[in-house]
Amino acid sequence: MRLGLGSKFALTVLVILVATMSANTFYFLRTSAQSQEQQLIDRGRALGRLISLVSPEAILGYDYLLLNDYTREVALQRDVVYAVIVTAEGAPISASMEGAGPGLRQRLRAAGTSHILEALEQVRRDPDLIGLEFPIAHNGAHLGRFLVGLSRESVRKELRMQLMIQAMIVVAIVLFLSGAIYAVFRFNVLSPVRKLIAASRHVARGEYVTVDVKSSDEFGLLARAFNAMAAEVKEEQAKLHRQANFDTLTGLPNRMMAFDRITQEIRRAQRTHGRFAVYFIDLDNFKHVNDSLGHAAGDELLVTIGRRLQTALRASDTVARLGGDEFLVLAPEITDELQVQGIADRLLAAVAEPIELSGRRIVAHCSVGIALFPDSGDSVETLMVNADEAMYQAKSAQHGTAIFFTEEMNVRLRERMRLEQDLEKAIERGELALHFQPIVVATTEAHHGAEVLLRWQHPERGFVEPSIFVPLAEASGEILKIGDWVLEQACRLWASWRAAGIDAGVLAVNVSRVQFRKRLSVRLAELLAQYDMPARMLELEITESVVLDDHVEVVEELARLRGMGIRLSLDDFGTGYSSLSYLKRFRFDVLKIDRSFVAGVPDSPDDVSVVNAIFAMARGLDLKVVAEGVERRSQLDFIRAHRCDFAQGWLFSKALDEASYKTYLEGAKAGLRGSRLAKEANA
Amino acid sequence: MSIRLFLMGLIFLSSARLIFLSSAQAADQTLTLGVFPRFSASDTTKRYSPLAEHLATRLGVQITLSTSRDFQSFWRALMELRYDIVQYNQYHYIRSSRNYQVIAHNKEFGKSTIAGVLYVRKDSGITDLKQLKGARVLFGGGEDAMISYIAPMYMLLQAGLSKHDFQSQFAVTPMNSVIGVYHRQAEAAGSGDMVIDQPAIKNAINPEELTVLAVSEQVLHLPWAVRRTMPAQLREAIQAALVDLENSESGREVLKAALLSGIGKAQDRDYDAARKMVRAVLNAH
Repeated sequence: MRLGLGSKFALTVLVILVATMSANTFYFLRTSAQSQEQQLIDRGRALGRLISLVSPEAILGYDYLLLNDYTREVALQRDVVYAVIVTAEGAPISASMEGAGPGLRQRLRAAGTSHILEALEQVRRDPDLIGLEFPIAHNGAHLGRFLVGLSRESVRKELRMQLMIQAMIVVAIVLFLSGAIYAVFRFNVLSPVRKLIAASRHVARGEYVTVDVKSSDEFGLLARAFNAMAAEVKEEQAKLHRQANFDTLTGLPNRMMAFDRITQEIRRAQRTHGRFAVYFIDLDNFKHVNDSLGHAAGDELLVTIGRRLQTALRASDTVARLGGDEFLVLAPEITDELQVQGIADRLLAAVAEPIELSGRRIVAHCSVGIALFPDSGDSVETLMVNADEAMYQAKSAQHGTAIFFTEEMNVRLRERMRLEQDLEKAIERGELALHFQPIVVATTEAHHGAEVLLRWQHPERGFVEPSIFVPLAEASGEILKIGDWVLEQACRLWASWRAAGIDAGVLAVNVSRVQFRKRLSVRLAELLAQYDMPARMLELEITESVVLDDHVEVVEELARLRGMGIRLSLDDFGTGYSSLSYLKRFRFDVLKIDRSFVAGVPDSPDDVSVVNAIFAMARGLDLKVVAEGVERRSQLDFIRAHRCDFAQGWLFSKALDEASYKTYLEGAKAGLRGSRLAKEANA
Repeated sequence: MSIRLFLMGLIFLSSARLIFLSSAQAADQTLTLGVFPRFSASDTTKRYSPLAEHLATRLGVQITLSTSRDFQSFWRALMELRYDIVQYNQYHYIRSSRNYQVIAHNKEFGKSTIAGVLYVRKDSGITDLKQLKGARVLFGGGEDAMISYIAPMYMLLQAGLSKHDFQSQFAVTPMNSVIGVYHRQAEAAGSGDMVIDQPAIKNAINPEELTVLAVSEQVLHLPWAVRRTMPAQLREAIQAALVDLENSESGREVLKAALLSGIGKAQDRDYDAARKMVRAVLNAH
């Protein structure tokens, strides 16, 4: 049983009071009993002395009747059990036992005066009896003795009565004092404590209350300290609430609060059978703003856009920043699609207004995806996914467009989700496989290595393009598992070929930006050690998207990888921003010219110019260059002429499966080169 | 005839005058009633005041009840003839009969006579008076106690013992002598024959443990006497007043107060038996 503070205190007080009062009562009763017994004995002595004084006359005069009167009178006194006069020879001559109880009186009477002494001897052993004896003398002559027996019964009775009264008094005092002390304790201690407990519970529920401080004692100090603490907690809570629910940059509700608002709106709409719209807004080319004007300008743009969105909307609408350059608008109480489109137009117009950033006037655009409740979904997740899908469609259609989520999008979305689910099981089902596209030395066509390519053979759909499933894997996070599988397979195969005495050359493996966030270097160190593969035989192909993140983690991770001796290759160079600042900031070993540029040489002057520029830049930065998509001899000649280091493409070999690539490697070992080598392998 | 009528008238007038004078004299007369200290003075006053009032009413005289502290003072007063009417024991009467004339006697417990008795404990083994030789004999009252001393002593003397053959002791009352023997304070007790039946005795001891060793001749109970100088008419009136008590309800109440069941007439020769005992005992001294 759990006792409260009040109960414990009350029990303690009760025990102390009971113990103290009981000890006091015990002492009082003991003293009282001793005093009463002494009084009894004194009374007996007084009677004895009196009878001793008056009885000689009667004894000498043989006045037994008078002696009987004496003894009877004594025996009738309170507490006297018997009174006996015996002669000097010890013969009882008068006895009275009027005061004895019925039992004792009967025993004494049965004994008679003659045998009264024998009977008294037995009676005297009674602990309740006090036997006193007084000599009777006259002129120095011993005449006899007076025996008087006193009963302690009345003393004990009185004691019992006193005990009862004292017990009642003790109980009354204990109850009164306990009650009074408890009341004081309750008023002075429990009440403040309970107030503090109640206030603490309020605070725990997020209701910030203060405790009324009336006293200046310890509880007053405690209450003040509590109030100060509650105020501090309230402030911290508000700060946390702001941080948890609002975007620190724009001050707009964040993703969490946006979801919460949508949830509430769903409930309200379900009750009222109403409709509402969710707008998923993504700024177009925001990264470009960041890169070209700096992050401060990018932040300023986001703040301005957020403010404009708010201005363009009704008071009942919600604008939230989901993260990065993504915004969300919740427009409740929608009547029809026309109204929804009107709001979308206002949003697009608000974003498209020119803005002055870092002294430059720019015009931003955004893509808007719209999902309607309940038409496009009846849950937060569905509405968000569908709005995102619509936004994705808007972005791929034309910048500065708003698109409603449609059934076709829905079908496509479901398709994508199914593919995602299948991809999760692809490794276990053995549907993934590594293919290898050889890379040769451009000048000699000697074998250099291979780019490792991932292939998914879907049981129903057949071959699925990496450009389809890799983004899905990146979005779902499955890329971590798949990427790890690819790296391990590559290392394992390289080790197995080496064990077979085959030089596999350098293996270039594509890695996703997502993998960089999960300590890729640690995992690679494990794999290299496990398969005893030299780090220089592994090349990681990364796209510009990796370095675009420009996270400290990415920079550090790249440095670690380079430190381990792993070669870094910048893939698809020229298709993205191809910012020279990246090449300067991040140290790469190899630059891979995208096939789209190689395809135009030597006939397209533009492509020739670009490729020449890339070659020049690579030489300037001391980078090796790999030309992708070399399919014609003229292309090979061109890149050779421009001292390209390596070449890759169908001119030498298409991507080979594991077995074919092994054959290819065996051919390379045998001295075959270039297209012949590929023909042997394909054969 | 006329002389005769004259003489008769004279006699009538004289008688009437005498009666008138005697009545007038009686109204002025005060008689002293003396009671021997058988009880305490207060008890005596309580018990005999109704009787004194009764006599005063019947006799048309004032009656003064006189009590005594002890037998000595009573005897002294008796010898000085201070009592007109006296209630005492047989010995007192015999010793004072020269001046006092017995007119009545007590009836106690329905009996007109009483006898002296010697009690012993049943377990004493004493069955004959002669066995009391060398024993302690506890008599009730003093040497003038008729029933508790003189009568038992008479029996002892008659049994051939002299007063020196046993140790005489005296208890305050006859009842105490019996209790003393019961408590083995003496071997025999001299007392009256009705003592053993008294409630006080039964409350104090177990009478079953005692037995009667010897009983004396019955003697008439305590006597009522008047001064011999008292006019016969008054003496007779007193006697009649006493004897008549048991004939009326109020009289019986008076008797009851004095612990008496009645009062009967008595004359001097009724106490000859007692006189015989007294003379024998006094001669033995």
